[in-house]
Amino acid sequence: MFLAKNLVELSNVSVKPLTYGDKMNAQPYLLQHIEVSMAGGEWITFIGRNGSGKSTLARVIAGFGAMHIEGRVERDPVRFVTGQVPIVLQQPDASMIGSTPWEDVVMMLEQHGVEGSKIPELAEDALRLVGMHIRMHQRVETLSGGQKQLTAIAGCLAVQSPMLILDEVTAMLDPEACIHVLEKVRELNKRGVTVIWITQKLEELAASDRVLALEQGEVRFDHKAESFFARDEDGRSICESMGFTAPYVIQTAWELEKLGLPLESLPMTPETLAKAVQQRW
Amino acid sequence: MVGDWKLNQATVVAQNEREKQLLSGINLTFRSGAITLLVGHNGSGKSTLLETIAGLRRLHSGSIEQGNESLWTSEGRKPRLNKTIVMNTGIALQQSESQWFASTVREEFDYSLKPYGITSEEREKRIISAMEQAGLPLELLERDPWTLSGGQQRRLAIACLLACEPQWLLLDEPTAGLDADGIRRLCAMLDAHRAAGRGAVVATHDLDALLPLADEVAVIDGGSVREAAPAASWAAAHAHDAAAPQAQRALAQLRAAGFAPPAEPSGAPWPAPRELAALLAAQRAATPVQAAAAQTAAACTAATEPPPISAAPITTTTLAQPNRLASRFDPRALIAAYLLLATTILLQHSWAGLAVAAALSAAALIPLWEQIRPWLKAIRAYIIMIAIIAIIAGLHFNPVSFDWAPAMQNLQRFSGLLLVMMLGMPLMALVTPLRVQRSLEQTFGWLNRFKVPVTQVALTVTLIFRFIPLLADEWERYVKIAHARGKATTASRSLPFRMLLPAMVPYIRSLLRMAEQMADALEARGIGHPAAKPTQGLRLRFSREDMLIVIFAATAAAILIFIR
Repeated sequence: MFLAKNLVELSNVSVKPLTYGDKMNAQPYLLQHIEVSMAGGEWITFIGRNGSGKSTLARVIAGFGAMHIEGRVERDPVRFVTGQVPIVLQQPDASMIGSTPWEDVVMMLEQHGVEGSKIPELAEDALRLVGMHIRMHQRVETLSGGQKQLTAIAGCLAVQSPMLILDEVTAMLDPEACIHVLEKVRELNKRGVTVIWITQKLEELAASDRVLALEQGEVRFDHKAESFFARDEDGRSICESMGFTAPYVIQTAWELEKLGLPLESLPMTPETLAKAVQQRW
Repeated sequence: MVGDWKLNQATVVAQNEREKQLLSGINLTFRSGAITLLVGHNGSGKSTLLETIAGLRRLHSGSIEQGNESLWTSEGRKPRLNKTIVMNTGIALQQSESQWFASTVREEFDYSLKPYGITSEEREKRIISAMEQAGLPLELLERDPWTLSGGQQRRLAIACLLACEPQWLLLDEPTAGLDADGIRRLCAMLDAHRAAGRGAVVATHDLDALLPLADEVAVIDGGSVREAAPAASWAAAHAHDAAAPQAQRALAQLRAAGFAPPAEPSGAPWPAPRELAALLAAQRAATPVQAAAAQTAAACTAATEPPPISAAPITTTTLAQPNRLASRFDPRALIAAYLLLATTILLQHSWAGLAVAAALSAAALIPLWEQIRPWLKAIRAYIIMIAIIAIIAGLHFNPVSFDWAPAMQNLQRFSGLLLVMMLGMPLMALVTPLRVQRSLEQTFGWLNRFKVPVTQVALTVTLIFRFIPLLADEWERYVKIAHARGKATTASRSLPFRMLLPAMVPYIRSLLRMAEQMADALEARGIGHPAAKPTQGLRLRFSREDMLIVIFAATAAAILIFIR
């Protein structure tokens, strides 16, 4: 049963690459038995190694690509007007086709069939939301990687996408640009935009983020970030069992735990670590 | 034992705009036996600096020395690189992981090792040891390098470098795309390299992985050195930066809250989590209860003070010119004007006519001098070619004599073509892809009724326009890689003929990959979706200026027809 508050519901979804005839049966599954639902306004971080199926899952949710899909994928017909959600990918150089941010967003709107007379205003509003309106008419060669990614994000906002799907958009950026892009997207999320954030960097997680961890095409974990890092009685966490290296603050908290000094809750940032230590000491 | 690198007022300018400095007045010394990190934003000039040290970019002014020898020697007319330094230096560029052109991994090693002229036993020994250091199984030696996984290709690039046993390693973003194990191996390799008394310069964003290993840090910003300091003190000074590694920020926060594990004067910039936890635990055990309470109160106030905001705003580097010129004119006016002028110039058959044509072209081109300038080299080459053709046309061999008539005739023909060519050169800078697309759609849109796919063709034209500028950049990248690997001593723009193949094969592959990435990105953004009905948010309108352009061109054309 599709719930009104949900944007997307996937139940028992399995995915294979699309081929024809008998070859189909021999294809390995890219995704298997996926049960996920997403509510409007949520922030979900997808993590997993290369080839774990993160990007495939994002595409299934977005409604893209030629894939053989089994199971049930339901999208809110009111908000998914075009039936598709644009995705921004990791390569900043490939993410813009216009020669200026303004042109890029205008082309995006044109290609999505938005009424011509409304386009200039919509484009400028979207660029303002990501802070790119001051560079609206700047040539693409003079933009940094982060600015190109923000332009691509503005394009998604402009076409009234019901959610933002960002597939490792910070992978090619320098640390300052990463922080800037992440902050902007967090801001949009606070304003109610649903965000799927795909990343390899566990440091980008914030407290009480919903984490969806994939391994070999299956969902291994779907819960709060804190419980992803929480160690059980045997001193093991999902994070470690999946072969990820935990961020420094988490590792420090684990070591304190080992010394018999567990913190009240797992800190996700340096600030919360310092605060937790203060309270405990 | 090799000497330190010394850069003295090293300045590098862009190839086509000589007044644009990519690096300005760099003074730096890289110590042998130390690891120096180059940090800074994307586009700050880190990679340019690495390439300059390796001799892959020409110095505009200043000098670079290794030990007491200069990198560039100017015996003879053309500057050449110092062979000893080139052989001593191994550089891995960002695209080195896709530099493959041979059919097996072993052949790739052979190519890298060829300039060193070592015996085959020695070569075998080095290959095996390099593969082991990089963590690659020896079975891979007979495999096609392109069948390796992305991570393995990155390791192989490093292994090819290690096999040459260079005294100096210059690495650009070596941790990008490596998994945790790959990064550990890279660090161990760098550590061993340093322990052997050799040096490394590493451009990186990945301070989490590399700062603990570094001896020095140089911050590059806008093409100059903003700061150079020992790694430990630099780390301590920048611990509050929003973009600093998490470990560094955690330490800074704990210090601010009064739980300061003392800053270590030398060695690692931060303790391992285990050590930090032990320090905190020890501190807790040593603190009496009341004192702890007092300390907590004090710490709270300390912690509430906002950390100094020192993260540089993202909006630095290039002072960008808004794209005014490119959106000023209607492409239709420009194309019409160009066609009028070009046709009538080609109709000229007299020197007088050509002179008038040249004067009219000059009138049109002088305001566009900036847009012509990047083409000057091509123009010069073309003029030389015309001269040679004219001479050949005039030469008679039996008996040897020179006939002026055919020579002049040729000269006339090609001069007309030169004018037409030059008029076309600034066009690219005067339009943007979207505006060309729209002018095509607005001019030929009526053909849609006859099932001519005008919209699709116009969109394709836009994408091709967007793609073309990337072609030259990409070629230059692979030329540099081939140049560095082949240990050529020519100035890097002139690649020796034998190195053409090692540049060409990865270049073509990279173009295909780029096209694929773009197609992927387009699809992901929902562009070109069959169900979508594109609209037009931008409509071109003929302005008075556009009218003037067409009138000028029509008048010029009329004059040219008249005097023909």
